[in-house]
Amino acid sequence: MANSIITITNMKKQYPEGKGKFTALDDINLSINSGEFTGIVGPSGSGKTTLLNIIGSLDVPTEGEVITLGESIGKLTHRKAAKLRNKNIGFIFQTYNLLPVYSVYENVEFPLLLLKMSASKRKKAVLDALEWLGLTDKIKSRPGQLSGGECQRVAVARAMVKLPEIVLADEPTANLDAENAHNILKMMSKLNKELNTTFLFSTHDEKVIQYLTRQILLKDGKVVG
Amino acid sequence: MLSIKLAFRNLIGAGLRTWLNVIVLSFSFVIIIWNKGVLNGWNEQARHDMVEWQIGGGQYWQENYDPYDMFTINESHSAIPQEFKNDIANNEMTPILINTGTIYPDGRMQNVILNGIMPNQKVLKIPTEKLENNSNEISVLIGKRMAKNNKLEVGDYFPIRWRDANETFDASDAKVVGIFNSNVPVIDQGKIWISLQQLQKMLVTPNEATMLITKNVDRKNAEVDGWIFRDHKFLLSDMDEIIRMKNVGGSIFYLILLALALLAIFDTQVLSIFRRQKEIGTEIALGMTRWQVVRLFTVEGAMYSIFAAVLAAIYGIPLLALQAKNGFPMPEAADSYGLPIAKAIYPTYSLGLIFGTVFVIFIATLIVSYLPAKKISKINPTDAIKGKIQ
Repeated sequence: MANSIITITNMKKQYPEGKGKFTALDDINLSINSGEFTGIVGPSGSGKTTLLNIIGSLDVPTEGEVITLGESIGKLTHRKAAKLRNKNIGFIFQTYNLLPVYSVYENVEFPLLLLKMSASKRKKAVLDALEWLGLTDKIKSRPGQLSGGECQRVAVARAMVKLPEIVLADEPTANLDAENAHNILKMMSKLNKELNTTFLFSTHDEKVIQYLTRQILLKDGKVVG
Repeated sequence: MLSIKLAFRNLIGAGLRTWLNVIVLSFSFVIIIWNKGVLNGWNEQARHDMVEWQIGGGQYWQENYDPYDMFTINESHSAIPQEFKNDIANNEMTPILINTGTIYPDGRMQNVILNGIMPNQKVLKIPTEKLENNSNEISVLIGKRMAKNNKLEVGDYFPIRWRDANETFDASDAKVVGIFNSNVPVIDQGKIWISLQQLQKMLVTPNEATMLITKNVDRKNAEVDGWIFRDHKFLLSDMDEIIRMKNVGGSIFYLILLALALLAIFDTQVLSIFRRQKEIGTEIALGMTRWQVVRLFTVEGAMYSIFAAVLAAIYGIPLLALQAKNGFPMPEAADSYGLPIAKAIYPTYSLGLIFGTVFVIFIATLIVSYLPAKKISKINPTDAIKGKIQ
């Protein structure tokens, strides 16, 4: 437990549904160590994305405790949660979620602007990230001009540019063909090894599963393995 | 600074949507400033013309004089006070004697106001030197409107009838010795200008006057028994009231224009927040606080007014400068309203007007941008990331 960066204890997440409540996650107990390349694996509706959102401080648990990088998610103010995400957590989404009116460079630069990094450091970090992901020739392109694989590489660059401690990737290969999926996963695996960044995926994609060093099986909101 | 930088990127990136709003808002800037400039220009020109042609630096009125009461006007004259003699001799002041009369040009009858004025006066711009006359005939000066209405030309004779101080009617032929062109209809329509001495002789009121017009605004005006001093504030009050009414009318017009432009921005903001939910969710996930996103959208909206001000400056400055140089032509019938309106009004644009307009529009834009943007603070980021409409 010494280098555990995510600890979940007796966590439950419920949503209002009609007059009652729908339990999305129940009795979750987990610990994820620094540098892991872990996947939360399960079918659609099993609660993978909800778990990822809570770990990433975008949502809060109904019961129990989630500690991410030493911060209790349920007790964070909006401002502190935003700061945690901004400094320490990178997000990768299934639908890339690139800002449509920004260029590739501007999309990758965005988290660094929020960190108030100096212009020279920012430029170096963005160009380095784009180089890792092989996007240097697409700097001025807009997301609309890129393929799905390229968009997801931009999203990875955006998540990695600030060198976060954790990257949360929600179904990152769901919209990609096999070749692009493998390319992306190889890059993420390489970054995990070189930078010791913790990657946490939510997925039911076999292609992703074969890259994982640890799998957490989720079914009907419960950890089953 | 971050909000400004990101808002700038967002607006530039949004392309046509941005420029449509900016163009509409820039019209508001230019038209509001132009409208106000025309009114300012008219106000300044009208005041300037009234001072030069009608009211001078101020007026002493004989205590019974009421320009709106024709029944007492013939009794509203008395001897010119001794203390004004030097001022009159030095052309610092000029006496005017006023009486009613009737003229019969071409056999038609028209009631007129007879104004006696010294031919060598230098207080008003009326070309009274034309009234210098050594003959016994009555020489009169009239304005172009009066001449047009009565089909009179220089050299024409017409009968004139008046009632003197002894209540005796008298009549004689008068000769038009000059027609002047003034933007001030009050000294023209229904007015006949005669040499003061001539009129005093006709009315049997030697050395008397109805009013004394001073040349300078800043002269020290002593109190004189039987005479009341009327300053610019009093004499221009009707004009000020008309300008105020025009300003109110103009304000309604540009409020409608501004409202249309603001509605476009409000609509864009509402639509943006509706359509850009995924973007908002992503920005929150990347570490923006909800209030940072609210601020970003508010600054985006407010930035329309800055872009619009720049665009308005690009095409508005040359356009307004050209108008200020060449003037805004007024229709021929404009002077029949009875107001001092020149053939062309030259708009004047003060820095206060320009910066005031920019400031008001900026604040209005800021408010209409903030109102829809504050909804963002209630957005659920996990739904927003997926683009779910909330």
